[in-house]
Amino acid sequence: MIQYRTQRLSLRFFLLMLVLLLVQVVLGVVLSLQQTDPTLLSGIMNFNITRSQHVNLGVLWILSGFIGTILFVGPILSKRELAAPWLVKFLFVALTGITIWNAVAIYFAQKGIAGWWLGQPWIQEGIEYLEAGRIADVLILVGFAILAYVVIRTFPNVKEWNEIHWGLGIGVSALAAMWIFGMFFIGRIDLQEYFRWFVVHYWVEGVWEVIHISLIGILLVLMFKANVKAVGYAVFWGVTLVWLSGLLGNAHHYFWVGTPEFWQFWGSLFSALEPLPLILCFWHMYLDAHHDRKPLVNKPAFYFLLGSAVLEMVGAGILGFTMTFALTNVWSHGTWITPSHAHLAMFGTFGMLGLGAAYWIVPAVRGIKRFDQRFGQLSFWLVFLGMLGIGFAFAIGGTIQVFIYRTLGLNWFGSDIYPSMMLYKVLLVLFGLVFLAGVALLVFDLYTLGHRVREPEAQSAAAAYARPTSGWSRPLTGFEAGIWLLSMWVFGFVITGGLLSFNLARVQSGDPTLPYVAAAVGYPGLLLATLLFVWRFLASLEAREQRSEAAMVRGPVPVPAPTD
Amino acid sequence: MDDPQVRAETRRRRIALAGLGLMAIVFIILSAFSFVSSRDQITPDTVVYAGEHGAVDGKRVFQAYGCMGCHTIVGNGAYLGPDLTNTYEDAGPAYLAAFLPSAGQWPTEAALRVQVQQPQQVAETGIADLAAYYEAFPGAKERIERRGGLTSYMPNLGFRPDEVPALIAFLKYTSLMDTEGWPPVPKVDGLTFPQAAGAINTASDGTEDVASTGAAGAESAVDLVATGERLVTQLGCLACHATDSARKVGPGWGGRYGTVTDLADGGSALIDDGYLMTAITDPDAQVVAGYPAGTMPSYATVLAEDDVNAIVAFIRSLEHP
Repeated sequence: MIQYRTQRLSLRFFLLMLVLLLVQVVLGVVLSLQQTDPTLLSGIMNFNITRSQHVNLGVLWILSGFIGTILFVGPILSKRELAAPWLVKFLFVALTGITIWNAVAIYFAQKGIAGWWLGQPWIQEGIEYLEAGRIADVLILVGFAILAYVVIRTFPNVKEWNEIHWGLGIGVSALAAMWIFGMFFIGRIDLQEYFRWFVVHYWVEGVWEVIHISLIGILLVLMFKANVKAVGYAVFWGVTLVWLSGLLGNAHHYFWVGTPEFWQFWGSLFSALEPLPLILCFWHMYLDAHHDRKPLVNKPAFYFLLGSAVLEMVGAGILGFTMTFALTNVWSHGTWITPSHAHLAMFGTFGMLGLGAAYWIVPAVRGIKRFDQRFGQLSFWLVFLGMLGIGFAFAIGGTIQVFIYRTLGLNWFGSDIYPSMMLYKVLLVLFGLVFLAGVALLVFDLYTLGHRVREPEAQSAAAAYARPTSGWSRPLTGFEAGIWLLSMWVFGFVITGGLLSFNLARVQSGDPTLPYVAAAVGYPGLLLATLLFVWRFLASLEAREQRSEAAMVRGPVPVPAPTD
Repeated sequence: MDDPQVRAETRRRRIALAGLGLMAIVFIILSAFSFVSSRDQITPDTVVYAGEHGAVDGKRVFQAYGCMGCHTIVGNGAYLGPDLTNTYEDAGPAYLAAFLPSAGQWPTEAALRVQVQQPQQVAETGIADLAAYYEAFPGAKERIERRGGLTSYMPNLGFRPDEVPALIAFLKYTSLMDTEGWPPVPKVDGLTFPQAAGAINTASDGTEDVASTGAAGAESAVDLVATGERLVTQLGCLACHATDSARKVGPGWGGRYGTVTDLADGGSALIDDGYLMTAITDPDAQVVAGYPAGTMPSYATVLAEDDVNAIVAFIRSLEHP
């Protein structure tokens, strides 16, 4: 199944990723419970500790998935073994060690201990997303340097690099370079925020996005035998657009942190362009998945990859777009509307890519040709539905929060804001549990893949062929996919309009009708369109599989539908 | 390099890089203009609270406790508690000084009054009485009226004594910052807004005034204890002291009367009426071992001698639970 021996080294990073993912999601559910009852675990594990762990683990498992995927595709892209496999083994030990140390270090925030020495916080530094102290920072930098070294040494001579080499090569180097900006204590809050977003924005919307585009590209090549040149062309334009829009797009973090007003112009203008590469990636997904019309070999892997491209467009592209203008951001900033975007974008784009890669790579490394794919498919739907629900709860809860907090100026969280948001806080817990169920299932599935007895192929031929290949399962045309894409954007514009309407005198004098109606139409509409589109896309692929099987007159294979 | 396709690719990459370089130049120019001193953006090294506490030290405390894990500052952080950017200009330093050491309970009016009258507060704000303080910091009045004496969701973090004024200095700095009009100023008053007024909590039992309790002197011992109990509630003493022996911010009261306690200076003291009176009027004179000095304010200026007697009587009445 694998051509190069050192590709095996990727497996351990995926197994680590799954453990960290499970812990992160359990902590996420704890956080949602603490949101409904802030006295829960108060004094034992205060909300800020839980949240720091949740955020840090989220970053760490996504990185672990990236590393695993890069190590798997590195030899394929280079047509040779990984350079310095002992360094990769060391990297794994280091990553595990850093994760454990950082989890312990964050707990010191409960006692207000940062470990100040030479003016720097060595244990933990209590800045959102960059909670890790200098000890962990330095070790992480070493880890990134090792990764960059291994990747670039493995790749062929620079002259032979194609677009995917360039994307990954620049990606792993910039990963390390950007990290350095987060390694200094800064007294000014405006300057601190300025450099903090160097790390966070340029990582997520620069480096990670580039790694994401490159990895999606290579995985599409592997899955569908898509044309390397065509994918490379898409990767080039994807990367170029990400950077052209994202470099100045960082300005959308500089609206209200004490930096000058002119950033509002540049940020609104350039970050409005940031969805372009995401739409391009989304569209290429459609093209590549449909170009050869062969059956899907590995359904869960493709499901998660599709989820990644779609949620990237919806969570990062559309929801990011709605709040990227100074006139909408002034309202959404600092409220629950932000995490609705953050969860869908972060887990959707990068998390789902890691999971899709895991479903492709874990069986490949273990040498499993066929496995029971139903657990993987079910876990996809649970995770996908759970995350859409989480985004919905945050978004509607956040819209109410904006009105109560910013428009009415009621600032007592315990008595004004909690009660008004309570329904959505409870929904957050419920969808969080759905998500947790999906994650638990996929962790179990991937860990035991190949160790379980395969399911008997008992389904009758009649059942397999009974599925209609018309209606909902008819082949998805480019026109129809375009209509779906358009409808998502229309709902995105409705949401944007709702946020804009907070500026109206009518709303500011206490009438929430417009923003509430826009949110009630926009968010559920967008999320339902997303859900239905993915269902429709996958149904058309299922039907294609049956058609091709019928044509080949092969033995029946149980084909579970994604949802019934 | 003769392959036309390779040449086209190289050219494409060069154009993309040139575009990126242009963006980078624009970004660097904008960044340079963002931090020039002529912008007159406030910097933390110039902000001092109560004469000696610097805002940069406060930022270190703010980071050490991971405040951004529950609150937002300039809108960034977590969403469990309110944004802290303008808390200082809204509620004022005395309110923060009354709240932060015992964050588990919202300060009562009496607790705020004690802080307002502290010399370092008077020096900082130039205000010596509560009415003027309310006028300068209307957010404090609203907080006292609505939540005074009630339980808060924030845990007692056990700040060290110098950390509280440092944090206040940091919040003073963020209040002074120009954040381009964020957060937006509400155009309506939510508290009097008809649709909201029915649902929101405006009642509080913490607003009763401590004034004129001097009549306590002639009362019987039982009345004295009752007066003391009323006083400790109004003053917000119970935000820091438990009526059993449990440690909150300060030592618990229950069962301690008549015992000998170790002191922070290495000595020991018998807890009797005299000790307790000193502890109320001059808290740093004899600090119990294991507790930091400088946390409790002096109540000498707000309590008449009879009030102190009543509180001592109440503490004396607390048996071992």
